[in-house]
Amino acid sequence: MLRDITIGQYYPVDSCIHRLDPRTKIIGTLLYIVSLFLVRSFPGFIVVITAFAGVLILSKVPVKYLLRGLKPILLILFITVLFNFFLTDGKVVWHWKIFTITQEGLLRGAFMGIRLVLLIFGTSMMTYTTTPNQLTDGLERLMKPLRVIHFPVHEMAMMMSIALRFIPILTEEATRIRKAQTARGADMESGGLIKRAKSLVPVFIPLLVSAFHRAFDLAMAMEARCYHGGKGRTKMKPLRYRLGDAFAFLYLVCYVGTVILLRIWLKI
Amino acid sequence: MLPVVTKGLVHDYVTRDEEGNASETKRALDHVDITVEEGQFIAVLGANGSGKSTLAKHINALLLPTDGTVLTCDMDTADDDYLWEIRKSAGMVFQNPDNQIVASVVEEDVGFGPENLGVPTEEILERVDECLKAVGMTKYRESSPNKLSGGQKQRVAIAGILAMQPRCILLDEPTAMLDPIGRREVLETVHRLNREKGITVLLITHYMEEVIDADRVLVMNKGHLVMQGTPREIFSRMDELKELRLEVPQVTELSQGLAKAGYDIGVALTPEEFADAYAGKFGGLHGAQAPAAAGNTAENAATAAQKPENDASEAKEAILTLRDVSYVYGAKTAFEKVAVDDVNLDIYPGEYIGLIGHTGSGKSTMIQLLNGLERPSEGSVCFEGEDIFGEKYNRRLLRYNVGLVFQYPDHQLFETTVFQDVCYGPKNQGLTGDELKARAEWALNLVGVDPSQWQTSPFELSGGQKRRVAIAGVLAMKPKVLVLDEPTAGLDPGGRDEILGEIDRIRRETGMTVVLVSHRMEDVARFADRLVVMNDGKILYAASPRVVFRHRRELTEVGLEVPQVTQVMQLLREKGLQVPGDLITTEEALAALIPAKQ
Repeated sequence: MLRDITIGQYYPVDSCIHRLDPRTKIIGTLLYIVSLFLVRSFPGFIVVITAFAGVLILSKVPVKYLLRGLKPILLILFITVLFNFFLTDGKVVWHWKIFTITQEGLLRGAFMGIRLVLLIFGTSMMTYTTTPNQLTDGLERLMKPLRVIHFPVHEMAMMMSIALRFIPILTEEATRIRKAQTARGADMESGGLIKRAKSLVPVFIPLLVSAFHRAFDLAMAMEARCYHGGKGRTKMKPLRYRLGDAFAFLYLVCYVGTVILLRIWLKI
Repeated sequence: MLPVVTKGLVHDYVTRDEEGNASETKRALDHVDITVEEGQFIAVLGANGSGKSTLAKHINALLLPTDGTVLTCDMDTADDDYLWEIRKSAGMVFQNPDNQIVASVVEEDVGFGPENLGVPTEEILERVDECLKAVGMTKYRESSPNKLSGGQKQRVAIAGILAMQPRCILLDEPTAMLDPIGRREVLETVHRLNREKGITVLLITHYMEEVIDADRVLVMNKGHLVMQGTPREIFSRMDELKELRLEVPQVTELSQGLAKAGYDIGVALTPEEFADAYAGKFGGLHGAQAPAAAGNTAENAATAAQKPENDASEAKEAILTLRDVSYVYGAKTAFEKVAVDDVNLDIYPGEYIGLIGHTGSGKSTMIQLLNGLERPSEGSVCFEGEDIFGEKYNRRLLRYNVGLVFQYPDHQLFETTVFQDVCYGPKNQGLTGDELKARAEWALNLVGVDPSQWQTSPFELSGGQKRRVAIAGVLAMKPKVLVLDEPTAGLDPGGRDEILGEIDRIRRETGMTVVLVSHRMEDVARFADRLVVMNDGKILYAASPRVVFRHRRELTEVGLEVPQVTQVMQLLREKGLQVPGDLITTEEALAALIPAKQ
């Protein structure tokens, strides 16, 4: 169970999308999400899908991989679609006891389903082509203006990157502790919910103790390496926009423009 | 300029109660005066809790003196204005390789220090290049630290310190959590930096072999500096060191044993040195002969010795049997790795087995196969003749019979008191009331934990005591087989000998079968009846230590060593001396090297 947690789903190939500045990708993804909610009918999705397909081809991420990203939200997707099927008023096409499906419901369910799938596709595309650390860097840089209102931007970014570094270590440690307690006869696989939760105490406490130890050690190691917050710090790999980013922004402007124009003039 | 000067340095750790009043003061350093000259390689020895880490933290201004002064590169650590300059000049490498790497990519971690110092981007990149090259890690520049071995991680940590261009590097037990290969990597790197770049090194350790090349050795005990001198001077005071829970390298012990018997060859620090000195002085006593002829007799002796052993083991029924066992990690993925490859092994009741092999040789997987924590991909594991993955087999019951003590078992303590923690296993077994109590008491007494500590929290105990409690937690299930994965890792020599002595005593008292995973050949040589050497998932040798250690060359090739005593004897044979080549303990070697008086 603990082993299944993986962070980031970076797909390591070299493509022009991978090479884009993380800021470009974050802004792009945000605009893409907004655009999804501007689209009001099926024909609008054609524009979205076309634009997305272009990015997908450039990114060299296989479609199989993209579909795998849907797995964790299958249940939510299913519920959303079903709720829309059954709970929309309109022309009845099927009726059984208390269950009624309407024509409007079918259309709406399909619409919501497509929107949700496209939403996941878009965000997965970002995580497939950007390492968690690049994302953190990008967010730090984009949120820099918030420092004016004393928002601890650098500290947040540092916390995120440290978390990313330690999640695999702690996951491994959890597995080890769980095995050690199993060797002492712990039974973590059977029993009801409460019994199972209780059986995790012998894993959880040592893990917590260890996490605190590690945090303490790391803080000391960082201090010993002259870390004193973001003030006066330079960057080994500062983010720089390149030519590719200019093209990306151009592409984005065209795409968002088309979506808005469709909505205003063609009302779709 | 002197890299480090301390004058009358005192440090008190103050424990405060909930209201913030000092409730307990513990003196960690008591008037310590040291002076380190530029370019020196200084080793600091001391048992756990002797104050050696505290000393290093003072030099780096991570701690400030309660009394006295510390000057790091002529800067007073108490002066706030110098703080960053001090930490830059005296970089510090810590014990746990994972807990000091900040970034998720090697090169970014090396750049962390310079980033903090505000070094311009182009220069950071240059420094990262240069420092990765200096520690030989350029190839792993873009790797994730999680994919590296312990030794490699420590080299990255050293590069990270180098990138701040320090004049002095402090290393706080950098090799305590590494295997022999990793230890060698780190030590070689540090020595090279000291030699080639003239960086002053202060190495804290309790591995004696790491000390022999130092310019000067400082020995700490209970916050005091009790000895200092060259390694040779320090190691000549063997008895005093033992009282301080330290030891001397095995060859040094041997040379001193000889000296006591009237055959003085001076204080030898390495097997080569010993062999040269002994052969030079007393070679004549052993009828020097042509080496080739001597080699033949050794081989004859080997085959002769193997036979009776096989007979002895066949008489009994094996308690654990591994038949054609293979274990594959991540089968059918890109990460597929064969950890155990077609292994056959019989373990007999009452046997003491030493399982050796370097990290990644498959020994950790192997011990998890023994109690059914891992299921073999192929083959079968049988306990007392029954297949443990048979249809109706109760594997929980098996785990009470095959007790497994993981590495750093003290990291798994969780209960509020020592006693309750030890009760966890037997309670799972279904014991209650007086029976449960008796079992826990039995186990705690067996490992020698004093009853006055039974009701304290396990988290308040010292490292060695915690380790004992954790071992008691497994013993309390009264297993028939006790499997221990490096039970002495991270303990000082005194603590290590105590734990090993207790395991040996427990085995003699209860007749338990013991499987001990260890990196230290001297230990397995002393206690094990049979050694199982693993390499690349396969069993390379399974025979008595005496037989296994004859294969010095083959063992060296797979990154293992034979005990120093065995090295000495084999070196002497190569020099043509008529001495047995298969001695494995100091006592045996002494008996052989002190010529019969008649």
